[in-house]
Amino acid sequence: MWDQILQFVLTGITLGSTYALVALGFAIIYNASDVVNLAQGEFVMLGAMSAIALTAGEGVPLVPAILVAVLVTMVVGLMLQRFAIAPARGITVVGTIIITIGASIFLRGLALLLWGKDIHALPHFSGESPIRLGNVTLLPQNLWVMGGTAVLVLAVHLFFNRTLLGKAILACSCNKAAAQLVGIDVGRMLLVAYGLSAMLGAMAGVLVTPITFTSYDAGIMLGLKGFSAAVLGGMGNPMGAVAGGLVLGLVESLAAGLISSGYKDAIAFVILLLVLFLRPSGLFGRASAERV
Amino acid sequence: MKRLRGWWLLAVLLAALPLIFPGNYYINVVGSSAGLFAILAVGLNLLMGYAGQISLGHAAFFGLGAYASAILTTRYGWNPWSALGAGLVLSGLVAYLIARPILGLKGHYLAMATLGFGIIVHIILVQTGGLTGGPDGIGEIPPLSIFGWAIDSDERWYGVIAVTLLLVVLLALNLMDSRTGRALRALHGAEVAAAMMGIDTAGAKTAVFVLAALTAGLAGSLFAHQQAFVSPDSFSFFVSIELVTMVVLGGMASSFGAILGAVLLTLLPELLVVFEDYEVLIFGAILMLIMIFLPQGIAGGLRDLWQSRRGLLGRKGGVGQDAA
Amino acid sequence: MLLEASGLTKSFGGVTAIADLDFLVPEGLVYAVIGPNGAGKTTLFNMLSGIYRPDEGRLTFAGQTLIGQATHQIARLGLSRTFQNLQIFFNMSVLENVMVGCHARARTGLAGALLRLPRMRREEEQIRQWAGEALDFCDLGGLKGRQASELPYGALKRLEIARALAARPRLLLMDEPAAGLNDTETLEMRGLIRRIRDQGITVLLVEHNMGLVMQVSDRILVLDYGSRLAEGTPAEVRANPQVIAAYLGGEVHYAVE
Repeated sequence: MWDQILQFVLTGITLGSTYALVALGFAIIYNASDVVNLAQGEFVMLGAMSAIALTAGEGVPLVPAILVAVLVTMVVGLMLQRFAIAPARGITVVGTIIITIGASIFLRGLALLLWGKDIHALPHFSGESPIRLGNVTLLPQNLWVMGGTAVLVLAVHLFFNRTLLGKAILACSCNKAAAQLVGIDVGRMLLVAYGLSAMLGAMAGVLVTPITFTSYDAGIMLGLKGFSAAVLGGMGNPMGAVAGGLVLGLVESLAAGLISSGYKDAIAFVILLLVLFLRPSGLFGRASAERV
Repeated sequence: MKRLRGWWLLAVLLAALPLIFPGNYYINVVGSSAGLFAILAVGLNLLMGYAGQISLGHAAFFGLGAYASAILTTRYGWNPWSALGAGLVLSGLVAYLIARPILGLKGHYLAMATLGFGIIVHIILVQTGGLTGGPDGIGEIPPLSIFGWAIDSDERWYGVIAVTLLLVVLLALNLMDSRTGRALRALHGAEVAAAMMGIDTAGAKTAVFVLAALTAGLAGSLFAHQQAFVSPDSFSFFVSIELVTMVVLGGMASSFGAILGAVLLTLLPELLVVFEDYEVLIFGAILMLIMIFLPQGIAGGLRDLWQSRRGLLGRKGGVGQDAA
Repeated sequence: MLLEASGLTKSFGGVTAIADLDFLVPEGLVYAVIGPNGAGKTTLFNMLSGIYRPDEGRLTFAGQTLIGQATHQIARLGLSRTFQNLQIFFNMSVLENVMVGCHARARTGLAGALLRLPRMRREEEQIRQWAGEALDFCDLGGLKGRQASELPYGALKRLEIARALAARPRLLLMDEPAAGLNDTETLEMRGLIRRIRDQGITVLLVEHNMGLVMQVSDRILVLDYGSRLAEGTPAEVRANPQVIAAYLGGEVHYAVE
């Protein structure tokens, strides 16, 4: 019984790592531009699918394929900001949401066109022989996911707190006008933020697809659940988003294993509603005051 | 009646189409489909266009109405009209219960909360197989009859849907041109000021949310009997997005705009049959392009054009003041 | 006394916006609240409208406590307000904006609206008439049919006032009505405020334009750092050395007619 639970916990952390990276991407874009980017999940899908397409058949070896896939997705992220979000200046919140939903559908359509409806996967990075820890098994890829996520999260944390570029982006999110006045090119900062989020999403996709497989519409649920995780952690708090992602992954995995797997997708949204109703600032967010 | 000019035009148009083109597939079948979505869109437009709220989960109420009719008529032998009534009660009740907590949210949070709600309902429809037939849905739904006259042909459905649409639009027009309607629009315009005029903003939001849900439930019941079959696919997150697109495309704060949006979006797959593989791509592109270039939708764009024509030229400050 | 406040206190985080404030507003006066930026004037208005809840203190309007009441309930007690940042309903016409002001004076609900019963139509006519009167009172009669978005700034300020007046309030809170107005428009605003008072409506005025304040007010409350610095007639306030030191500064000349 405990072994079973431990197994679910391990699955949950793997799942949660993906959610964490997606949620982190949401938080970064939200912080930089007040936009909820519902195409976030598509970055994950694109990263995975591009890498798969490149390594297919006699294609490119794994590491370069991953690098190219991530780069391609970053470019998509930049284009999203530059061509879909930036032109819609002064638009309402509903408007930006619909634009990003439109972008998500567009990217999905693109993937459908390029790669069809089939399910694909990347080869496991370091083989498929399971690792046994007592009565619990772990795939090497699980370690890749968890380790990779930890490294990425740490890197992002250092980026925002230790580098000038990172701090400039934070400045933009606090006060755009003030940032401009001290000479920060806000437009460029936004591009960096989107590129960074896309990179995180793509990496998440590449890391996890050997285990979970992917297809043209794998992004939707990921994006929505990633958003729930970001809200759970406290919208706008990057590390909170990561925590939210891990918690969500754990809860979902445990519930799916112990209660019912059919409703597991609903869990993320029930959590979302509960957080929004009861504690909108999430686990680690600050309650914001509105000026009249 | 000058006020109802548009409504009369619509009525004439709806009546004329099947008379001019009898037995036409596009009018009877596609038209009926468009009509149902138009009913949904007009209801959603009350919430989004006039009252300025967001709902990305509206298909849930469509589904509640449809499944209420389906389940009650097939499994419990209810009279279709009673089942329709029950569907309305169900949609309205669920809307009423979630309205207060959800509509206290704003912006992104409201959008995502409604989205979450919609997805939860969809998952429930898929998972409670015993009641709802799960992913396979419920078939053999008996037809609707009016005074013994069964509605079982495309032409008859066109008639029923057209009449229902006209009724819903009439009610919407009446509502918007009233104290309640102004209160809703004030809510959208400046919520704090609206409260300062004595408007119970929370109550108003709840009321319009329930109204939108009721129209969706009504459309759902009609849909169930028209198709004689329901499955969760028809009430997914995508359908909710399509509904929002219809309202936005046609133009918010205009019932006729909502109808236009519904018609355009129902026709789109028919037109894109040739480009089947590109359908998803094009739909996404359309969504982005409208919101970027025409955020007020087609009706809004026309309205702005009309108003700039009427002339804001040669206006001085202090208009309305006679020289002191 | 129409409005009574005692011990009002409101803080936001570490900042105390209003500190232990007392004041009394008699009915039928123009009562101005002045003070430097950050003195707490808008916070005070927001507490009066139910947008903020005071941390401590009592606040009564016509004998009824305002604390804990929702904004729309306070409005129905007879309190109306204009806003520093225009809160016009730009999605409606000029007339419709003012008709919303009559909301609390009418009764037709959802059923009446949907079915357009005769009683509803009669009430609509009545509302239209009331709104027209308020617009005429504010010299906006000729603009009824326009969209609110077409109006210039000065007219919009008056539109907000017309809308607030359409509710026939006992107390009208005016938040910087002269902000952004030129001299001619300010002169007209002065006349409008006097006409409002002459109708028997009590006016609570927040305003930076000292000339206007001195000319139109019957009593003035001076705030500084959220507390009461002085209170009295314009003449008394003008002569108060603390006020001069804290706010008016040095020698100030303003037109007095």
